[in-house]
Parts: sequence; C-alpha cells; structure tokens
Amino acid sequence: MRIAVSVLLSVSASVLGGSALVLALMAGHAVAADAEHGQALFQPCAACHADRPDALGPSLKGVFGRKSAALDDFRYSNPMKRANLVWDEDNLRAYIHDPQAKVKGNRMPFGGLSDPGDVDDVVAYLKTLK
Amino acid sequence: MATRLKDIDAVVVGMGFSGAILARELTKAGLNVVGLERGADRNVAEEFTLSRLRDELRYVVRLELMQDNSTDTITFRNAPDELALPIRRFGAFLPGEGVGGTGIHWGALHWRFLPTDFRIKSVLSEKYGAKAIPETMSIQDWPVSYDELEPFYDRFDKLCGVSGQAGNLRGTKVAGGNPFEGPRSEHYPNKPIKTGTGPAMFSAAANSLGYHAFPVPVATSSAAYVNPEGITLGRCEYCGHCNRTACESNAKASPNVNLMPVLRADPRFELRTRVFVTRLVYDKAAKRVTGVVYTDMQTGEEYEQPAGIVVLSSFVFGNTQQLLLAGIGEPYDPRTGKGVVGKNYCYQFEAGGEAFFEGREFNPFMGAPGMATAIDDFNGENFDHSGLGFFGGGYIACTNAGAPPIGGRVLPRGEPRWGAGWKQATTKWYRSNTRFNTQGSVYAHRDNFMDLDPTYKDALGRPLIRLTYNGTENDHKMSRYLVDKLESVVKAMNPTHYDLQNRPKNFTIVPYQSTHNTGGTIAGSDPKSSVVNRYLQAWDAHNLFIQGASVFPQQHGYNPTGTLGALAYWSAKAITEQYLKSPGPLVHA
Repeated sequence: MRIAVSVLLSVSASVLGGSALVLALMAGHAVAADAEHGQALFQPCAACHADRPDALGPSLKGVFGRKSAALDDFRYSNPMKRANLVWDEDNLRAYIHDPQAKVKGNRMPFGGLSDPGDVDDVVAYLKTLK
Repeated sequence: MATRLKDIDAVVVGMGFSGAILARELTKAGLNVVGLERGADRNVAEEFTLSRLRDELRYVVRLELMQDNSTDTITFRNAPDELALPIRRFGAFLPGEGVGGTGIHWGALHWRFLPTDFRIKSVLSEKYGAKAIPETMSIQDWPVSYDELEPFYDRFDKLCGVSGQAGNLRGTKVAGGNPFEGPRSEHYPNKPIKTGTGPAMFSAAANSLGYHAFPVPVATSSAAYVNPEGITLGRCEYCGHCNRTACESNAKASPNVNLMPVLRADPRFELRTRVFVTRLVYDKAAKRVTGVVYTDMQTGEEYEQPAGIVVLSSFVFGNTQQLLLAGIGEPYDPRTGKGVVGKNYCYQFEAGGEAFFEGREFNPFMGAPGMATAIDDFNGENFDHSGLGFFGGGYIACTNAGAPPIGGRVLPRGEPRWGAGWKQATTKWYRSNTRFNTQGSVYAHRDNFMDLDPTYKDALGRPLIRLTYNGTENDHKMSRYLVDKLESVVKAMNPTHYDLQNRPKNFTIVPYQSTHNTGGTIAGSDPKSSVVNRYLQAWDAHNLFIQGASVFPQQHGYNPTGTLGALAYWSAKAITEQYLKSPGPLVHA
C-alpha cells in the first residue's frame, strides 16, 4: 500500500515538475512515516554522518529543530554557513529530497531521495536521533 | 653538498598505493618509516569534496592531479632508429602526482590476473610448442603463482572495499560471476555496483551468443563498508565524475581514503611532501642502497636520507630511471638482448567504440568507470589460439562511466562536428548511446624498452627516461580479433548505428588511451632475466624493494592495480617476516 502511494506521487512529481513536487512531498505527509524504514535508508548516510572526529559529515544527533551549520567542531561549507535554516520538517524534507536545490553548493555528496515516502521516513528517523 | 639526515629504518619513495601499503605494513612491524612524495599532500577532508570535484575542466581537461611535465617528463619515440622528443604534456597516459599518486584518479577497475597469466611462457610452450613463441616476444613466467598471491589479492580487495560478483569461490563456480577467474578464497567485500542500461543490454546480448557476462569488479564501494584498517567507506553515488579525479563520498578506493588516515596517526610514520628523490645512494660492493638523496622542491635544499630499507614505489618510469641513474643492474640493450633494466616495457592495447540506439534512454550522465559488464571469454589462455597468428587477449566490456559535459558527447560517424547541426545531433544522441572497450594484453617485444635519454634532462638536471614503444604485429592481430568479437555482441544489441575503432598502426602519445604502463624493473627467477626476485627484492641491492607495475614481466588483459596491490602486500610480508630477521638476499641466484 505504502509503495503504491509513493510510486504514484513520484510519477506525478516527475510529470508536473518542481512546484508539483513540493505539493507531492506535502501529500506524502498524510501517510504515517516509518522511522524504522528511515533508519534502513539512512545506512549509506551513516558512513559519513557518524559520531567520529574524522567523520566526513556532521553528527546528526539532535538535528531536528537545530539551526543549520550549528556544530562548532564541524567545518561546514560556506553555502551551508550562509543558509541560515532551521532544520524543521519542511526544510529537512526539501534538503533530503534534493540537497543541491535546497542549499546550492553545499558539500554533501548525495543526490537526494526521489521518493517522498522515503524522505518522510528518513525525517522520522532523524527525529529519533537525540 | 646534501645535508645528511638521521638514519631511519625504512624510506618509501612515492606515496601511491604500493608506497602507502609498504609504509603501513612496515610501521605495523615496528619500523620507523619516512614516506617521500615529490608532489603535494592531498587531504581528503579539504580536497575530495563537492562541489570542487565535479569540475571536468579542472581535472579532466587541465589535468590538475597529474604529473607536472614542467619539472619532469619522459621522451618518446616509436623505434630505436628514431629521435626521441620530450612529452610536454601527457596525453596517451596520465601518471598522477602527489600523495595517493595515480591511485586517486584511477577508474578503480579492480582485477586479478588469470592463474595461467603467471606462467604464460610455460603455458604457451605446453599448448602450442616452444617454437610457436616468436623470437622477438620476450615474455616470461612470473616468479610467483596465482595461488601464492591469492591471499594478498584478498587483502587488497578488502582494503579497497571492492564490489563484484564471485565467479569461482574456492574452486566452485558461482553463477553470475566470471567463470574464468582463478579461485577466490572469499566473496568480494561488497555486492556489485548498479548496472546501467547499456551494460545490461551488453550482458543479455553476450549471453545470447553463448559468452559469459558478469559485472566488472570495481574498487568502488556499493554500500557503506568498514575496511580492515577501520576506515568507513561511503556508498558510490554514481555522480559520473570520478574519472581523473577523486571521490567525494569516499566510495572509490584511494590510498588517501583507505589507508593514509591510519598512517598519518601513526607516530612511527613521517610524511614529507614536495621532496623530489633525485638518486639512490648505491654501495655496489656491499650490494646495498644506503639511502636516498632528495631535493626539497620548495627551498631547493638537498638532503640525504640514510635508511636501512629502501622501498622504491614511484611510477614505472621513475622506478626504471632511478635504477639506471644509480647503476643498479645491467641496462637492457635491445641489439644484444642482454641486460635487464628498462626491459619489457609494455602498454595496454585498448580499442573500442560506441553504439547508438535511437529513442532509447541510457542516462549517460550518471555512472562510474566501473559501472560495466564484461566477458572474459577471449582473455589470456581462456580460448584456443591455434591458427590465430597471435597470443594474448583481453576482456571485452560495455561501460556507463559517466558522460561529462565537455568530453561526453560522442556522435555517430557522419554527424556534423560543429555548429547548429552538431547541437541538434548532440541533443538527439547524447542520452542514447553506450560505450565499449576491449582491454588487450601487451606481450613484451624485444624492441620496446626504456633507457636514459642522451639529450633531454629534467628540472634537476637528470637525464629523462626515453621510452621506445610501438604496437607489435602480435598485439594488433590480437586487438582486431577482440574488436571483431565485440562487434558480434554489439550487432546482437541491435543498435541504430555503431562505430568501433581499431588501433592505429603506430602508437602515438595523444589522445588518451590508458595509463597502464608496465615493465622496466621486471620480476623473474634469476638475475639474468630480471631486476627483482619473487619478493620484489632487487637482485643487486638486497635492501631495495621495488614496487608497482614496473615489476610486471608483461602486461596481461586486465587493469594492473589489483595485481599491483596484491604484490605490495606479498612483498611486505616477505620483508617483515623474513628480511627483518636475516637481512640479505631472500632468493639465492
């Protein structure tokens, strides 16, 4: 059931383009997000977003609700420093869907998740990181 | 007068894959090691990042990570009776420079040679009679067997987080893998990376003809992976940009990502960059290299670094040049066939092309150099050469390597090359083509070799290496045979157009062909026919261990790095477990 909805949304998104996509992402919200699935999707991300001093990405502990570029011990890219975002649901969703569209020039080597259901699940998982 | 520095247990000249592996294994054994690198340090956190790396102009066109030809280059000619001239800008091959060496910008295709490759001269003699091997073909057996090297292949696979599908696990054939590969002790550390549309079509077509298609093994992690050094690798994101540059997500293996962090943290290891080793200090009577002399390229100051063990791990040209300059081993003379240093230079004989499928979407902008499927049915001795008139072979592959904005625009033959017509054709065909390659072997020939150039010198006044090389009749026949086989597969894919190119008769130093140069300090079972023994120890200097593809007796039909890494681990084990206990020749001539 879940998969069917996601496919439908991503098809409509790709047909209608950018603005429809935002709506589609909002619509994905209606289905309860699955943090467990989000954790599974997060595994490739965890290679960089690890709590190690030499990690390639910043720690995401407590990321939900945090300001962007907030950690003192991580060297953020200039675009990320300038982004001035609060990582709320909408910003996280848009960023995970298409990182370069949301914060152009940032250094995260990830192309984004095209499936809005997947995006929701990852956001749900990120909320559990405290 | 060079300033003499404090004695060190071991010095490593060149910090690419081999150098990093040797430095790591020697420090692990308790030695204090200095790593010398003539290029810049290359720091992952600063440099291997988005959006810096996705810059085709900077890395692919302007070659930022490659050897600086204004400091050092080689001279080239096709034949011994020609005048060699310096290569002012590398083209056909691109040796890297800086920490990581060529291991940063490689395509990460990660192969093992066939068990029969390691005893190729014997195999050919057994199968076709000793007389079948032309007198001019100076191939020889390796002094090490596949079975001996296998555990070290496995170690290097794990260091690199190689993604692939086993075809022969401890002697049992595994469906979907390469049925011709030598027995593997373990599966690949990671599952194969994704397959593009073109490679998938190639597999189907090849299998329909009775061949055996499989995903190409690639040192690009298909999933997050922790290597035995405790380093976490990311997942390939298929950005399509890593050819000629690094990886932004730590998925493509490089010394910098997969090994250097451990070395950098080790107090027994010291890295010195922008230091150019000009010569090995050779004590001929004692058969030892007492140290190396280098110039600090930032100050111009000269230093002598004495060392108990010297690991020579620069590129093929540098390794050979150091030996010739120091007078270690007898220089090769093509007229008499005597001497060994500079002998058996080999290249990689690649040829291929592309096919166009009108209206079909291939997403060529995504991919990875290793996003490829291949058949190995026509490699080495995987097929019968009776009556063919040549020896050797290679794998045949279809690749979705990423088609970047400047260079990734192939068009069918006959389409306009500029203007509005070119734009139209590009729009039509850019997303509707896929590419092929044949990775042909080069079996050594008497007339292909390296020596010191009599005229041209580098920035530090040392004679350049002079490369004398041309494609041989044997290798051309082999390559045409592979391209014919490729054509049969391409036809079975039913393209709208296709265009396959045989190699031109004479080798030229442009355009890019392959960085797979081998030979010059070849390995063998006696000092008459080789520079180093089976442990990569120089016959004429027992504390000198020479690493890299310069020890390959000839080049087989695969990318060389997998074997280069395995040899580094094999050699390191001999040093730490045998040589340190009783320094001296490990093989008695």
